[in-house]
Amino acid sequence: MAQKKKPALAPEPTPGGKVGVYVCHCGGNISDAVDVEQVCAQARRVPGVVVARDQMFMCSDPGQEMIIEDLKSGLVDRVVVASCSPSLHESTFRNALLRAGANPYVYEHANLREQVSWVHHGPEATAKATRLVAAAAAKAARLKPLEPIRVEVQPRALVIGGGVAGMKAALELAARGQAVVLVEKSPFLGGQVAQLQELAPEGETAAAVISELAGAVLGHPAVTVYTCAQVEGFEGYIGNFKLKVVRKPPLGATYADRLEKLSKSGQGLGEYVPFVGVMPATIPESPEDFDLEAGVVVLATGMRPYQPRPGEYAYKNFPEVVTLPEFIRLQAEAEGEGDTLMLHGRPIRGAALIHCVGSRQIPGIHAENEGGYLNEYCSRTCCAATLYAANLIRDRYPQTKIFDFYRDIRTYGRGQEELYTQAAASQVVFFRFEAGEEPQVLKNPDPQGPPLLVQVKDVLTFGEELEVPVDLVVLAVGQEPNNIAGLVQQMKIPIGADRFLQEVHPKLRPVEMSVAGILLAGTCQAPFDVGETCAAAGAAAVKAAAILARGFVELDPFVAEVDLSKCTGTGACVEACLADGALSLVDLEVAGQKVRRARVNPVMCLGCGACVAVCPENAINVQGWTLKQFESMVDLIVSDEYLEGA
Amino acid sequence: MGAGKHAGKILILAEDACAYPGADATGQGHMSYSADTYILRVKASVLFPEQFYLDCFSKGIAGIIIMSCGAETPYPGAYEALARRIDRVYVLMKERGLDIRRLRLTAICTVCTRAFLKEVQQMQDLVCQLGAPGSEAAAAPAGAAKALQEQ
Repeated sequence: MAQKKKPALAPEPTPGGKVGVYVCHCGGNISDAVDVEQVCAQARRVPGVVVARDQMFMCSDPGQEMIIEDLKSGLVDRVVVASCSPSLHESTFRNALLRAGANPYVYEHANLREQVSWVHHGPEATAKATRLVAAAAAKAARLKPLEPIRVEVQPRALVIGGGVAGMKAALELAARGQAVVLVEKSPFLGGQVAQLQELAPEGETAAAVISELAGAVLGHPAVTVYTCAQVEGFEGYIGNFKLKVVRKPPLGATYADRLEKLSKSGQGLGEYVPFVGVMPATIPESPEDFDLEAGVVVLATGMRPYQPRPGEYAYKNFPEVVTLPEFIRLQAEAEGEGDTLMLHGRPIRGAALIHCVGSRQIPGIHAENEGGYLNEYCSRTCCAATLYAANLIRDRYPQTKIFDFYRDIRTYGRGQEELYTQAAASQVVFFRFEAGEEPQVLKNPDPQGPPLLVQVKDVLTFGEELEVPVDLVVLAVGQEPNNIAGLVQQMKIPIGADRFLQEVHPKLRPVEMSVAGILLAGTCQAPFDVGETCAAAGAAAVKAAAILARGFVELDPFVAEVDLSKCTGTGACVEACLADGALSLVDLEVAGQKVRRARVNPVMCLGCGACVAVCPENAINVQGWTLKQFESMVDLIVSDEYLEGA
Repeated sequence: MGAGKHAGKILILAEDACAYPGADATGQGHMSYSADTYILRVKASVLFPEQFYLDCFSKGIAGIIIMSCGAETPYPGAYEALARRIDRVYVLMKERGLDIRRLRLTAICTVCTRAFLKEVQQMQDLVCQLGAPGSEAAAAPAGAAKALQEQ
């Protein structure tokens, strides 16, 4: 009988370290600025380095195989990869070491992309890259094999936000057998989608989408929903987040309009009401809080429509200037079945739709908001939503003319270009303007005509200045992230320059935050339409379920370790320790004598190293981040010995 | 930004939870700064004893920027302990005739790209002005040397 061949494993690391250096071109991202071959050549002169190789994409299969082969053959027993930021690929290469049968912690990463090639050019970029690689090799030579710390996972997911993204994520988690707690700060489920009527580009109704999702969420035994609830305390780590949730009545008249509409609708708890959402439970009379433990957290905190400043496109100057969400509601509540759209009893014979309001703002051209921010991004969804509204009006009210003022039309997704084609066929009249030459909305001086006049320098007619009298101006406002400064601060999660939450990498680690165990769903991350929101929520839920289903997580073993051969029991480390219970002095018997020595509780240790600095004997260090390793790195940064010509 | 100046090496201790991603964000924005900067990723700067900084200057590092998380550190109490330690390092630097501005404690967040650039530029300007570590004491006239000690 044929015997199964045992996979070859990397030999045990040697004390001195045989360091392999692997430098990535990153497809030119690095090698366009850094002479990778020269970095390798000089790296071979660094003490302890036995091989230095380069590869177009070190993260690719051939790149990883190169490392694995060298480990398995025993050529190297420490690895340095010089590539992009460790936040992207450190775990990739640690896993490559594991696949080679090596310990994943005999690995060091040099950041040559974000911290060299993207910020420096020419010979100085190569020189700096060489020193960083040499420093990483010096650290790697001193690395020891470590074992990860395994901790149990709390078998529960917390979803923050009860809009479409939050409900979709909760349902997907529940469908995979996971318990879910969903907290929503308002009294309603449905989020911003509940403020819409029909959803571009397909035209399904918000009522149908929210009714189905909310019904399923509220009816699922694995999902617990708390409305009027906010997270006000957060600590812990992946697998073991501890949160304080507070339920309290909404402040002031925040939701008065919606509550009144709900009351007038005659609908009860758990039933969908247009432009309100689904209210699953009564509002608490007084604040109440409770503690919650969760293994993962899904953020689905959503967006809010851009609110134009008073006077921006004459918003608030004239009642006939409204935002697109306001128009959708006005139109949905309009009465009458004639050929002309009627709003508040007034016929709308002509309506102007203006794109890019609160999006694609340009420094020096557009005014910053009160927080000093500009929305420089494209909100992506407003073009399709505006064209959908234009087509809807033309279809239902053929006597209402539509004038569409755009900078660019961005109908990027499936079914969206058709909206543009349909609008053109429906005799929507298009005008194009340049940034900085936005249409002006004025009072129409002709008392016999419509109340407003839109002036524009039209690119489509080679700069002709045109005036269009209209009864209504609709501002296609973009999306802004909800203000979740409190959560950001508590969870220490990154936000981008656009103020949306920032995932680790859009292609390599989508919907993941840099804080392990926290995932993103929907428009808290970027402007999305409802379809994209559901896709992102599904992705976040599946990643969250994978963590919970495993039942445990392995944490990096970067905690303090006492070298008993050096420890003299001064107790300085215990005094300096920042985590209660992480360090203590215990009685030990050494060479027949009773002595007091420091002992680390690895589960409690934060790994900050406050103890390291105060030990007179350097008898305590953080595993994987020792003082000697850092000293060696500095030695190689200042040394010229390995440089060519030195 | 001053990319042509080579006044001396600047060591940046960038904490893993804030300043290191902040440096990455600076790179993602392709915002250039002095190439004489060497970023060490650290979990918390409180790990380094006083002697580490003095040794760095002895080895030829011209300036050190500690880019901590400040009060936002994931290790409660670490920033305060670090600040007390840096005060002690300043005393030792003065004793050795080192200009204490060569060591700067600052807080940089994950998106603090402008602050990152500003800190690097300021330190680069300083080390250009001061020269190699230790040269300030040697070059200073007697009165100035006394003033240096009294900083």
